[in-house]
Amino acid sequence: MRRKTAPLLGGALAVALSLALTACGSGAHANGGSSTSAAGSYDRNATISIGSLYEPQNLDNTAGGGQGVTEALNGNVYEGLFKLTDDGKVQNQLATGYTVSPDGLTYTFTLRSGVKFHSGKPLTSADVKYSIEKVTSATSQAARKSSFAMIKSIATPDVHTVRVTLSSKSISFVYNLSYVWIIDSTAKDLKTTEDGTGPYKLDKWTHGSVLSLVRYAGYWGTPATNGKVVFTYFKDATALNNALLTNAVDVVTSEQSPDALQQFKNNANYRVNDGHSTTKLLLAFNDRVKPFNNTLVRKAVTSAIDNKKLLQSIWGDYGTLIGSMVPPTDPWYEDLTKVNPYDVALAKKELAQAGYAKGFRFTLDTPNYDPHPTAAAFIKSELAKVGITVDINVITPDTWYTKVYQNHDFTATLQEHVNDRDVVWYGNPDFYWGYDNKQVTNWVNQAEQASTTTQQTALLKKVNTQIAEDAASDWLYLYPQIVVASSKLSGYPLNGLNSQFYAYGIKKS
Amino acid sequence: MSAPATRQTRPRRSWTLVTGCVLAGLIVAVGLLSLAWVPYAPDDTSGGRLMPPGLPHLLGTDKLGRDLLTQLMIGARIALESGVGAVAIGAVLGVPLGLAAGFASRWLDDLVAALLDILIAFPTLLLAMLVVAARSASLGSAVIAIGLAMTAVVARLTRVLVKRVLTQDYITAARTSGTSWPRVITGHVLPNIWGTLAVNLALQFGLAVLAEASLSFLGLGAPPPNESWGRMLQEAQATVLTAPTGAIAPGVLLVVLVVGVNMIADGLRDTLDPTRRRSR
Repeated sequence: MRRKTAPLLGGALAVALSLALTACGSGAHANGGSSTSAAGSYDRNATISIGSLYEPQNLDNTAGGGQGVTEALNGNVYEGLFKLTDDGKVQNQLATGYTVSPDGLTYTFTLRSGVKFHSGKPLTSADVKYSIEKVTSATSQAARKSSFAMIKSIATPDVHTVRVTLSSKSISFVYNLSYVWIIDSTAKDLKTTEDGTGPYKLDKWTHGSVLSLVRYAGYWGTPATNGKVVFTYFKDATALNNALLTNAVDVVTSEQSPDALQQFKNNANYRVNDGHSTTKLLLAFNDRVKPFNNTLVRKAVTSAIDNKKLLQSIWGDYGTLIGSMVPPTDPWYEDLTKVNPYDVALAKKELAQAGYAKGFRFTLDTPNYDPHPTAAAFIKSELAKVGITVDINVITPDTWYTKVYQNHDFTATLQEHVNDRDVVWYGNPDFYWGYDNKQVTNWVNQAEQASTTTQQTALLKKVNTQIAEDAASDWLYLYPQIVVASSKLSGYPLNGLNSQFYAYGIKKS
Repeated sequence: MSAPATRQTRPRRSWTLVTGCVLAGLIVAVGLLSLAWVPYAPDDTSGGRLMPPGLPHLLGTDKLGRDLLTQLMIGARIALESGVGAVAIGAVLGVPLGLAAGFASRWLDDLVAALLDILIAFPTLLLAMLVVAARSASLGSAVIAIGLAMTAVVARLTRVLVKRVLTQDYITAARTSGTSWPRVITGHVLPNIWGTLAVNLALQFGLAVLAEASLSFLGLGAPPPNESWGRMLQEAQATVLTAPTGAIAPGVLLVVLVVGVNMIADGLRDTLDPTRRRSR
């Protein structure tokens, strides 16, 4: 869940949601290709002002800080053993390389030497062990926690070597490690301070408005191309856009409505960038309960809704239709929009076959922030055409978390899923949507145990196709990722996938 | 107040009442018309995204392609319903409570007064949000919440009015001549307080309409799709620069209705308040 409106980011919400989905992949797909530089010269000590709607609740990504933590700190203040590049590939960062034992169960990582934390303490293998255990600890609220359940032990043979033993093979292990921040094992108060290895250190955090970072002189790699980064947080999108118009901020990390773009599009002082996101809007059925335990009913509902028109209504000419859970930036993407095409006659036929010729009535639990209420109204009007009555029940995000996500007490719901590579949730019958297909569960497990990425990709493609054929959910559309920036700026991330926003390459002329 | 001065103000007062009736009547007429006829079905999304005013959609369409005029007309009905509903709750609960407190023994009266003061100090919107949170978000919840908040105001006013009337000589005269309390209430108390109450209820009507719009704006009113003006305003917020009609139209109608009702209240005060009547 990503695009929640700022006023709703209460404490409970932050904890709940970051746990649920926001942080589920707090950072896969590193930023997409950076914007190309128009200006040759730039100010090396410039201050870059970044406008965002997502203020962190705290600065600890294992304590439910929300997506703002990832946006501001991931890659900027904290780094992992590995980093995800623009196209989602894994690169060495604090590790210079690794070896895997023939049985696939032992990973040996070599750490980069000469790396210092912002406190001045050198990076050692003990810090890495501490950082991984911080994510997997009982009190951790990191959403990727379950991805590390197969870690059996972590050994530190010497200061530059970390050896991790797994209880079962996990082809995503290295990829998942890119979500683990390497933190100084002696650091305290990580909710309000930091001690990372990134190109910036925390300058000042004024709760409710501004978080600033300054360039770290002792950085091991290429220094940041600007001197200071200031994240300014807004409560609503209109105020944020006005700030950009009045030059109070230089760049907006992600626009939430196409309608504000017109004022920037026809203005030479701004550049509107249309990147890729991994955020999917789902009409998630509760596949356990009537009538949605019937595949035909789910297929009928999917075919009765004109997703193209919905996307057009909400995003104008932006965004993409996907037809299944996997976005085009994941390695196992396939165009599945034809599996359950928009076809009212087909929907009626399927309903009749399922024994619901006269339709039925269900309650749609709808989070109260955009675009869910609008989408719900649209779905209600579309389904009325095939005789299905929708009762829209508007709920707050924390109600959603307890009622839908935890207690599975719902018939159907709307929700955004922000992460890349999250199709694997369909292999977990206990997940909130309750999709239970033993074949799919096996494929997901086999994919994780696969020896090569080719095998993994082939299996996950099967999963993706099967869930589309079963209409496990209705994947309404994939969001666009729109970054609007002053034309003086270059080098900013375009995709900002999973809400990352690497600031160290931004140049200001 | 001197007689000539009030004679001058008298035509202005009735003009206020007439204007108020015309403005509010307009909204009532639109609301009634929507029962019989609207240009499009409210969930008809065939209009195209954010069409500007023109033909065939006189006021244009919203994001989903729904006709704005249709929504505004149904919105008028929702606004009136919520105003009437809230005032009805406020009056039915508040007036008897105020009467009871006015007649009650001293300690009970003090208790009720203290409770009412606490209720009044509680912001209407906050109370409404609590009620909506306890029940589910629906127009009914919103109206009940607003009505409850209004009850405190009406009850306190009634209590004060009753206390004032009870000190009058004609009440003492009626009691000493053997008139029973129920007859005193119907024959003497109510006729002397209802004018002020009516004016106050009219003002409360306007406040109730605004409160419902605020709740719907915050997503605490009726769930979507509904055509509450507050909800329309909220939906149009993001598109106010590119498609301003969506925000301006419900805003203007809200102003027309509330100003109209307030002018009616103003005009009523002139015709109903016995002190003013006497001074004419």
